[in-house]
Amino acid sequence: MSREMQLFKVCKGVLTGLQARNIHVTPAAFAAVAETKKAPRNKTFAVYRWNPDEPDKKPYMQEYTIDLNTCGPMVLDALIKIKNDVDTTLTFRRSCREGICGSCAMNIGGVNTLACISKIDASSGKATKIYPLPHMYVVKDLVPDMNNFYRQYKSIQPWLQRKDSKQKQTGGALQQDIQSIEERQRLDGLYECILCACCSTACPSYWWNGEKYLGPAVLMQAYRWIIDPKDAATAQRLDNLRDPFSVYRCHTIMNCTKTCPKGLNPGRAIAEIKKLLGGVAKKEEAKAVA
Amino acid sequence: MSLIFRLAANRCCVNQILGDSKNGLSFIRPVTLKARSADVPREEGHDERNMKLGRPQSPHLTIYAPQLTSMLSITHRFTGMTLSAYTIALGLTAAASPELIPNAIENLECLQLGELAISALKFTLAFPLTYHFWNGIRHLIWDTGKFLTIREVYATGYLMLSLAVASAIVLSVL
Repeated sequence: MSREMQLFKVCKGVLTGLQARNIHVTPAAFAAVAETKKAPRNKTFAVYRWNPDEPDKKPYMQEYTIDLNTCGPMVLDALIKIKNDVDTTLTFRRSCREGICGSCAMNIGGVNTLACISKIDASSGKATKIYPLPHMYVVKDLVPDMNNFYRQYKSIQPWLQRKDSKQKQTGGALQQDIQSIEERQRLDGLYECILCACCSTACPSYWWNGEKYLGPAVLMQAYRWIIDPKDAATAQRLDNLRDPFSVYRCHTIMNCTKTCPKGLNPGRAIAEIKKLLGGVAKKEEAKAVA
Repeated sequence: MSLIFRLAANRCCVNQILGDSKNGLSFIRPVTLKARSADVPREEGHDERNMKLGRPQSPHLTIYAPQLTSMLSITHRFTGMTLSAYTIALGLTAAASPELIPNAIENLECLQLGELAISALKFTLAFPLTYHFWNGIRHLIWDTGKFLTIREVYATGYLMLSLAVASAIVLSVL
């Protein structure tokens, strides 16, 4: 018994020595210890600012310096920290903070990406520059006007179109249209797009012809519906794209694929659309599943 | 509003029918109402709307990071323009000048520029051609839908660059 007690005492001593000591320290003292332990890791962010309420003032870059010890690892964490602690007027879109909503798309360090899944570059002493998505009208600070982008997305009719739904319903017996695993897999790499517009606004062709050229994001969704084995409006979808601007302003620069925060490949999708439009390739039709 | 008009019109009618113009309501004049279609708000263009609001355009070319993808693409366009300029300029001078081309080359040789300068001159003529040629082939392969992942784009990009520089050097030392 006494040996066990001795062992316990030894263990307790080790524990106290290692970590348990801090538990009994007052919070203030604990904070002091933490502060002396960590030297501040200051990081400067230069953020694009423009306020519609001050129309005479031109857009400018404002610098904010924050301590990375008290900040999360991502650029969005830094922006939220700036908004909370430094400047409440800083305006940006954000929602899911995990790269699935596409709200916080912006130009960080010269490249379009999602602020929430882009790590703060702590190693470089230089300021990280943050701009809104390039060549877009600015509503305020980092918030661009996405109306044109959404209008273009609507124009490609991003929904399933079938010719037989009515017949099947009126015929009495509604039948399930079973899809094979292989056919479903054709949509992989296409359906994951979150429409953050990083790719479209990274494309120089979209900068110069954004009104008429649909841009990589919208074209990849157009392709997603064109090759959907369940969709029946393929010919009409292709005809809607048959003009000099909608698709053919793509010059395979590939900035889109380079920048996609979801790792998708809009550039290849556009190349496939061109093949379909040119009659070089044909859509693989759905096979009946036994 | 329409209710007031209707009331007024009714009063007027009543007054006229009764022939009573001295009852204090004679200052109300008859109002004619005309039906017309509602004003449909004109659809503004995206640019028009934003310019009216005075929104600035976010910076683009000046702030976007230079990448192999865009740099090779713009170089392809520049080399194409250079080649056109060469063709037009050299073709026009050949057509306009009374001297024959062998004569012009002889004159150039007489200048005693030195081998290095001649090679450099040849390189400026050859590089746009070799670059445009090899990158053109890269684009043709892309049009078949191949080599379009980012890794392949970068690999073919560096391969094309080295091929273009190497073949331009070969042409310029010939």
